[in-house]
Amino acid sequence: MDNRPSRHRHVRIRSSRCEPPGQRRLPIREIGGALVRIGLLTEGGYPYVSGDARLWCDRLVRGLGQHEFDIYALSRSEQQEDEGWIELPPQVSRVRTAPLWTAEDDGVGYGRRARRRFAECYEELAAAVCAGDAPVGSAAFEGSAGAGGSAGSAVAAGSVGAAGGGVAAGGASAAVADRFGSALYGLAELARDEGGLVGALRSETAVRALERACRAPGALRAARGARVPDLLTVAAQVERTLRPLSLDWYEDDGLGSVDLCHATSGGAAALPGLLARHFSGVPLLVTEYGVQLRAHYLGAREDLEGRAASSSARALLAAFHGRLAAEAYRQAEIITPGNTHARRWQERCGADRARIRTVYPGMEASRFSDVGESAEAADADTLVWVGRIEPAKDLISLLHAFAEIRKDEPKTRLRIVGAPAEGLEGATYLAHCKALAAQLFPDEADGVHTVGDNPVSFEEIGGPEVPTLPEAYEAGAVVVLSSVVEGFPISLVEAMFCGRATVSTDVGAVVEVIGGTGLVVPPRNPRALAEACVSLLRDPERRARLGAAARARALELFTVEQNITAFHSIYLDILSRCPVRRVLVDASGEPLPFAIPAEVHVPGRWADSGTRLVAGRPGPGWAAGPPVRGVPLGSASGAASGEPVPAGEGAW
Amino acid sequence: MVNGRRRTGRADATRAPGSPGAWDAGSEEWLTGVEEPGTPDAEVGETRVVDVQPGEVRVVDVQLGESRVADARREAPSVADARRGWDAVSREDAGAASRAAAAAAAGAGAAAVAPVSGRKPSAHVGEAASAVREDSVRGDSPYGSEPAGSDREASAYARGGAAGDRKSSARRGAVDPVKALMHRHRELCERAVDPLEIAAGLEAHGVTDRTATRFRHRDVFSLAEEMYARVPRAGDPAPQSEAPDTPRARADWALLTLLPGALCAATLAGLRFTEGRPRLAVAVVGVFAISMGLRAAVRRGPLRAARAWHPTTSTRAWTCGLLAYALLGDGLLAAGIEGGPDGPPTGGPDSPWPIALASVLALTLAVVPAAWCAHLFAVRARRRLATSRGLEEFASSVRPLLLGVFGLFLCALGGLLAGSGAWLGEPPAYAAAGALGALLLLARLLTVHGFTHAPAVILAATGTAEALALVSVFAGRLPGCSLLARPVETVAAAWGPGSVPALVCGGAALVLLIHATRTLTRASAHAAHGDTP
Repeated sequence: MDNRPSRHRHVRIRSSRCEPPGQRRLPIREIGGALVRIGLLTEGGYPYVSGDARLWCDRLVRGLGQHEFDIYALSRSEQQEDEGWIELPPQVSRVRTAPLWTAEDDGVGYGRRARRRFAECYEELAAAVCAGDAPVGSAAFEGSAGAGGSAGSAVAAGSVGAAGGGVAAGGASAAVADRFGSALYGLAELARDEGGLVGALRSETAVRALERACRAPGALRAARGARVPDLLTVAAQVERTLRPLSLDWYEDDGLGSVDLCHATSGGAAALPGLLARHFSGVPLLVTEYGVQLRAHYLGAREDLEGRAASSSARALLAAFHGRLAAEAYRQAEIITPGNTHARRWQERCGADRARIRTVYPGMEASRFSDVGESAEAADADTLVWVGRIEPAKDLISLLHAFAEIRKDEPKTRLRIVGAPAEGLEGATYLAHCKALAAQLFPDEADGVHTVGDNPVSFEEIGGPEVPTLPEAYEAGAVVVLSSVVEGFPISLVEAMFCGRATVSTDVGAVVEVIGGTGLVVPPRNPRALAEACVSLLRDPERRARLGAAARARALELFTVEQNITAFHSIYLDILSRCPVRRVLVDASGEPLPFAIPAEVHVPGRWADSGTRLVAGRPGPGWAAGPPVRGVPLGSASGAASGEPVPAGEGAW
Repeated sequence: MVNGRRRTGRADATRAPGSPGAWDAGSEEWLTGVEEPGTPDAEVGETRVVDVQPGEVRVVDVQLGESRVADARREAPSVADARRGWDAVSREDAGAASRAAAAAAAGAGAAAVAPVSGRKPSAHVGEAASAVREDSVRGDSPYGSEPAGSDREASAYARGGAAGDRKSSARRGAVDPVKALMHRHRELCERAVDPLEIAAGLEAHGVTDRTATRFRHRDVFSLAEEMYARVPRAGDPAPQSEAPDTPRARADWALLTLLPGALCAATLAGLRFTEGRPRLAVAVVGVFAISMGLRAAVRRGPLRAARAWHPTTSTRAWTCGLLAYALLGDGLLAAGIEGGPDGPPTGGPDSPWPIALASVLALTLAVVPAAWCAHLFAVRARRRLATSRGLEEFASSVRPLLLGVFGLFLCALGGLLAGSGAWLGEPPAYAAAGALGALLLLARLLTVHGFTHAPAVILAATGTAEALALVSVFAGRLPGCSLLARPVETVAAAWGPGSVPALVCGGAALVLLIHATRTLTRASAHAAHGDTP
């Protein structure tokens, strides 16, 4: 806990706020319920119009109206800032934003002591980044590298290393993680006390520290070959990533006043949460629907100038991001991946398995309820594929499978519903698929006098045939998913909501989503796909059973309500296990010893002290006056202006 | 079943395939182990399916067996070939084939025996079996079309494995599945800096944990680790051959740097051909135009300072003051020492005290060599940045470059001074104007590279010193203060009035030069700053 008195802070990265603290909305108090003020940390997402995952955040915030949300948003580009925010519900009491894409050097030059402090911290940081064992159990990997050779020996070395050397490697990596963490918080404290971190992170001191760390014995192998441009690239990227350290969000009236930080993604969004935890002891919840570290690996491989970064620079940056992710996972009270795939990555990056709770993304189920609840009215011979048309969906394989199906079931039709992906590639792929369909399946008609058409039709949502998405699913007896690459298969979940029997390929999170309620075949296997489809087409009873089971499963796991309830209970769980303990002071700055009653720490219902006084029961004389207003220590200046008690203490 | 396979993998390594007999015994053991499947293993949870439901685990397991069977077929003409080929080299016996069959059998068996809710799992059994059957039917498989039944399947594989070894090794060269995978993802493997990058890339190409089981790995991560370990790495990566994108000389700034000199020359020509009041107007307009021209010249090209590093107003004022002293100071000082001045200067030959027009003309013209020198310095430094291995190496290679560029500028300035002196018929003040030019160049170079503090301080100090020199001469006339003027008078008497600014500016330039050799040789001074200054 930070007990230091407040002091003048330097103006740092520009940060805007929605409304001044004096005009804040009074919290809604639910009788007997808990009121939680949640600091929602986003990066390039909610509440910006073009943000990622804004829909999910919006549902979450709207769904938890009994809580209070403070939004701390980092914007990703100037364009994003210009596009503005989406409409915010009333439970959002404050929005503070800061740009990640630019930082102005505030021109604060460090004195001798600050310079030394910075150099120490940065050296620790660099040493932790360059330390030989990568954050993710590479001890086992080193063993297998030494053994080299065939697959069998590598596996053996890996498993032996994991079993035997795991303890030693674990101890060493924990020490490195500690070093990284302490260096990170040291830099944050420096930025808080002195400012001027942006300039310092790009200074020669930083570059020199990086060079020394790279040349140190036991450094990463790839880092040893780092050249001067690589060092500069790394220093610039590290500065960019650590920009949240210079923000003025960690004051007692900022993130210090929330009860819980909820980072909606890993990486930069979790960084303010880490600092709030460090400065004010606010517990942190990290939600990742896509693992940031993985995105980093797959993402830009360029330095700030747009040239390809060298392997040394990428190795160093990968190590840095890995350590940062590991630190976030280490400090987070609870980590909620969106699916097993994300969970595996998080475990791999050092997340404690006991703290991980998978929370599946929620989807709007109501619009599919008509289709899902109605009796099967679909054409029994129709297969439907729904999605965005792109090469990863492997429609070619689907068409070949359909050719096999037609051998057994000549009356079958295939409807491919979806728009091509943006860009040239999607359009080319769609044209290719259409050409293949025309080649494989000639147009056919019922009789000699009727006009024929192709058994494979390409349609788009909103066209005359399929005006809405649910109708697209309704049209088919079996919904097919033929992807070779898939993350969380949304179209599969939608098909489940519609109560349709599905045949899907075993990619991404498909098996996890479908459970046992649909058929799964290997990817790139048209014949297996065809056999599965034929077996379903021939058995309407089984279709109905699978569809009903799928709908039940989807309603259990993938609804918005499930998602919101899960987060609600996780919030309360975190608060009951590790509430923020704050010291309250009265107007003159003296601590109030019993300002927070003991019941605060007892989870469950307790009466508000305010309501008792309002009731006007006769009591001892000293209790007759209005209660002394308490404010957290450190914002004594705000106490003079009569700022109300921060919400958290009242409830907890 | 998962358990059994994992143990199998470990056995591969600890017990090297010494003799077929040993292998068969070992695999026999696993086979017998699998003969009583059914108890859903607790370790099945290792697949980390979150919401494990009774039916689900088995589905996953059947999938494991299935994807094993079917994925292999994608690469090979038939799965039987792939399996045989792989085993032929890695094991040299039929044990592995029987193990694979055991895995398939276990998959089907587990699903069949385990408690079943509804018909779903049995559907999967059928699928698994049909996939296996299909494989055996497909192509020129020696197994014939055995009816689907896990026991018979297993025996068929066990029998056929040994027979197929010889044929397959002839038919298929790449027998190491991981090697084939590495070949397919060559670029990814060569580029990867750690195993996780390969894992991310593989997953983006659709490789899942269940695919990884085909390569005898528990998950994609361990597969990626093997691939990373097996990528050949020949020592240090070759230095990048691509040329660093250095700033290019462009016409806009090259022309703009000519502007101050041209304006100054025009003004001087105007002054020469006018008299009286128009001359004053020409002078005022000329000074304004030259200052605008200077401003434009340093707004673009190599002399441009980023927005955050723009010199402050006071620094600009001191620069103007230094230039004004170069124009008027020497004459005023000389006149002051002699007891003058007797009137305002006219700029003509009959002026009461001379104006150093040649110095100012040379200095304004020197914007051109200054810009080209700064450009040269930036380009060369960037090039050395790209090739140097360490910060010390970079510093020691840039230091001579900086001194060379500085010397080049001094030579150019000397030439310009001589030329303009000859044109205007004035004796050129080499020392004073040269020192001032050097000072201004160094100050600008430092500012351009982000060191704004030292130039500001030094320019202010120099301006103050020169102003003090002038003031001390005039203050010496006050009664009792003659001592004040003594130092300046001594210097002026010894080396002429031009020596005062030469000494002051020369000293300042020396200080800045020393500072520059320490700061401009830092790599961070030459870093590209991306989006921010």
